[in-house]
Amino acid sequence: MAKSMLIISRQAPWAGPSAREALDIALAGGAFDLPLAMLFLDDGVLQLLPDQAAGELQQKDITANLQALSMFGVDDLFACHTSLAERGMGPTELNVETLQVLRDQEIAALIDRYDQVITL
Amino acid sequence: MSTLHVLSHSPFTDTRLNSCLRLLGSADAILLCGDATYALSASTAPRQALEARADNLLLFVLDEDAKARNLPLPEWATAVDYPRLVALSVQYDKVNTWL
Repeated sequence: MAKSMLIISRQAPWAGPSAREALDIALAGGAFDLPLAMLFLDDGVLQLLPDQAAGELQQKDITANLQALSMFGVDDLFACHTSLAERGMGPTELNVETLQVLRDQEIAALIDRYDQVITL
Repeated sequence: MSTLHVLSHSPFTDTRLNSCLRLLGSADAILLCGDATYALSASTAPRQALEARADNLLLFVLDEDAKARNLPLPEWATAVDYPRLVALSVQYDKVNTWL
């Protein structure tokens, strides 16, 4: 049985490579049918805003890749309620359909459940 | 399952420590190394946040990083060297390094 992995993405989308790298890990792992999940925490939730235009910064749009996660079998997508609230973001306006919004205690239990955790 | 949360960034530039404290499980521990040890600076918000949880917080600090920065350890923190750090990483079910 493959080890389960939780990828915690906590950087904003366009200021550095971290957001894309976290997503690449998820997509690569999903392609190999690894049991994995993604949690968007802190500035990571900013990746979930709709209608972003990375082309303005001559960057590739990673928000399109977020939509691809389910095609790669990564359906367990979570976002931190506190991080969303701090940034004035409501769960209804997010870019990812299968996203579940979790409270702090639920996130502690989520981290506990996975064999491995990567935080980027 | 227990998780060892490893922090290495200054708590004054970033929210890693705050978020980690929010999400910490009851069997988890925190290890401060590098600039994360500045969280022990006296009379600061990160120090107070740690102190407020001292009764049920297992806190390890990489000794050489704290000593290099002249940060005395409170009695509720445990100093560790590199061999002990390796032992801890094996002892806990997983290590979550907040990169």
